[in-house]
Amino acid sequence: MSATPIRIRKGFDIRLAGSPERVIVSALETPDVAVIPSEFPGFKPRLLVKEGDYVRRGAPVIGDKTRTGLTLTAPAAGTVKAVVYGARRSIERVIIAPAARDEAESLDRFDAAAIARAPREAILQALLKSGFFTLLRQRPFSKVPNPAAAPRAIFVNGMNTAPFLADLHVVIAGQEAAFQAGLDALTRLTDGKVHLCLDADAFHPSPAATGARNVEIHYFRGPHPAGNTSVHIHHIDPIRPGDTVWTVRATDVIRIGRLLLEGAPPADQIVALGGPGVRVDHRRYYRARAGGALAALLKGRLYDGENRVLNGDALAGEAVASESYLRLGQNAVTVIPEDRDRHFMGWAMPGLGAFSHANLFVSKFLRPLRRWDHGTNRHGSRRAMVVTGLYERFLPMRILPDFLIRAVLAHDTEEAVKLGLLETDPEDFALCAFVCPSKMDLPAIIRRGLDEVESEGL
Amino acid sequence: MKFVLSILDKFRPLFEPGGKLGRLFPLFEAGDTFLFTPAEVTEGAPHVRDAVDIKRWMITVVAALAPCLLFGIFNAGRQYNIANAVAGAGFWHHLGRGALIVLPIVMVSYVVGGLWEVLFAIVRKHEINEGFLVTGLLFPLTLPPTIPLWQVALGISFGVVIGKEIFGGTGFNVLNPALTARAFLFFAHAPQITGDSVWTKIADPSKVAEGFSGATPLAVAAGAPKGGSVLTALNEAGFTLKSMAIGLEGGSIGETSLIPVLIGAIVLILTGVGAWRIMAGGALGLVGAAYLLNALAGPDRSPFLALPWYYHVAMGSFAFGIVFMATDPVSAAATNAGKWIYGFLIGALIILIRVVNPAFPEGVMLSILFMNVMAPLVDYFVVRAHIRARERYLGSFRRA
Repeated sequence: MSATPIRIRKGFDIRLAGSPERVIVSALETPDVAVIPSEFPGFKPRLLVKEGDYVRRGAPVIGDKTRTGLTLTAPAAGTVKAVVYGARRSIERVIIAPAARDEAESLDRFDAAAIARAPREAILQALLKSGFFTLLRQRPFSKVPNPAAAPRAIFVNGMNTAPFLADLHVVIAGQEAAFQAGLDALTRLTDGKVHLCLDADAFHPSPAATGARNVEIHYFRGPHPAGNTSVHIHHIDPIRPGDTVWTVRATDVIRIGRLLLEGAPPADQIVALGGPGVRVDHRRYYRARAGGALAALLKGRLYDGENRVLNGDALAGEAVASESYLRLGQNAVTVIPEDRDRHFMGWAMPGLGAFSHANLFVSKFLRPLRRWDHGTNRHGSRRAMVVTGLYERFLPMRILPDFLIRAVLAHDTEEAVKLGLLETDPEDFALCAFVCPSKMDLPAIIRRGLDEVESEGL
Repeated sequence: MKFVLSILDKFRPLFEPGGKLGRLFPLFEAGDTFLFTPAEVTEGAPHVRDAVDIKRWMITVVAALAPCLLFGIFNAGRQYNIANAVAGAGFWHHLGRGALIVLPIVMVSYVVGGLWEVLFAIVRKHEINEGFLVTGLLFPLTLPPTIPLWQVALGISFGVVIGKEIFGGTGFNVLNPALTARAFLFFAHAPQITGDSVWTKIADPSKVAEGFSGATPLAVAAGAPKGGSVLTALNEAGFTLKSMAIGLEGGSIGETSLIPVLIGAIVLILTGVGAWRIMAGGALGLVGAAYLLNALAGPDRSPFLALPWYYHVAMGSFAFGIVFMATDPVSAAATNAGKWIYGFLIGALIILIRVVNPAFPEGVMLSILFMNVMAPLVDYFVVRAHIRARERYLGSFRRA
């Protein structure tokens, strides 16, 4: 256990308004719940139910054509109401109308004390059969791992610096045993270490997190992206060519623990609702139905006007339709107003109402502590990329982001790997893209680079 | 404002793909976003963006150049009034006369260069880049006030077309376009850009004020007689450290005085727009090379060798070049270590060319262009070293 926190100096907090209050409120009512397969890259869904079927909570709904053993399960007991198909008849989601009685399928149930000694295969099967295996990610490439491969280590991320993901120390309340059970389960999946990364400056840290057993605890301190998994791995035990490590969010470890202790997928899911688009007194944590409708959760809680609803945080999250549903691995909903306002000669104005990392607007000096109601405006036109070294100040890793981006753009995968591509995830470049004056789409470039390296093989 | 906005929206379809004037969209886009910030929203992660854009960035450089332009106007007018023995000329008279001399040069540079910029934007279907606002102002500031306007047009055309657009436009060029333009004029039309007679406009050669020479401090220092002292030679010509720093003397329009350049440097450094590492590296290179030459000075060698480094800073266009030209992010080195090396070599080369090479009185333009060419090489070696350091770092983690 390392006691001294790892200090991250490079980076920048974007000071977005709308931080969720640290209380959990119940918001369980929803007309229906959904299973959504499209969020898992590389997953080939095969439908196991048909409309009108009755399923219990935890019953298989979608199987995988390629990866045998992985199934996605019903988040609630009820009747299959509809199967929604997207482009080229891919399954977009399976909608289930919850029954009055939430009967649960009995999957493998574990004793809290037994998990730490359970065979790897038993834990693995429990995760695969419930679909909770998809909460894990593999590095390099940031995708759902191959269950057959044993990772060198597992990194649990219990620290967020991006606005706004759910805080472990809030979500863990009442689930301390489940968190430890989840960590114990992870230790069975690897022969190496399980690293738990925590925020050294956490507000009211939970003793269950800081005193977690059977794992190595690391503390980090600093501005965003100090809470990114790539940064943690880079400073604890960096990925080298040929390595495979798994990563998981600490809030998902709680859900894994509950699955194993209760013998069924939990019926609820805690999400942080934040962002400038959420009404001030509704910015808090909600205990929602697992897979519940977003519309039910957001109803009456947003400001009027056009809003963008995100699965995840404002920097690296994914925009979702507001008629969509909570995803399995979702712990935050961030809502940002769409901002299409045009300002007269913005390039010449002092910029009291503009937020920037650069000393180019008077707001930087006159309103240094303000939290900003950012909209989605891009604040400028796309321009040619200029390699300036600017990004370097926003990526706290031994990586030259300008040159890495350039190598990926040139399809020079060999050089990109040498420059550290495999250590990164698209989310690490969201902050660089935020500050970029040319408004480059850096996360997409990195995603493309990772895909190219993966398809070419190392 | 709503009224203007509605007019823009009304005409927008005309310029969009398929519209009657679709080919002119870059022109419309430039005018449209000049008047109002664009309405576009982010397309994906990150969903929020910083308020800074290239327009703001480039306008900051133009603002940093403004003191140099104003001083250049004043100085050109003052030099004219002194040389032509205009009686009773005061501050406003200098400024007005200078404006008549300098503003046409600036306007020709902007108009002709801007036309090329727009033409290429339309033909190659890329946007009009705000970087030209800087190039179009930097170039005139490096010219003597007597430059014929057709040469200004020729030079900026060469700079924009050959220096930038044939490489693919902004971001792809190897050389600084403003310096490319000046280098073209320097070699193609040397008599109008170098020598003792180009720095001050003479209305009537028969009425030149008594004692007026027109020589620059660099020419005086290089011509100091052997065995004598370079400082004495400068003093006799009326150049002291203080006078050269203030810069009310002959020279290219924007670069004679240290004071406005320092104001610009402070603006660029505080806003983070200009790379301080390049400026600091350049200063170190200059000081180092000057000391080296000081050590080589002797009674039977050129007295210019003995000139202290602070005189080198005050004379010529070192300060202007290292602050505004060398820091152009497209043509400079991009790694942090690379910026130090790049700046250092520019500073050192300037001194070597000034003092040792008799063919060129000043070395700023050639040093920066040479290092523009070398910058990718500098970065290449820094990136190789970075990759080796990465491997060492990754290897430093013991595996159980």
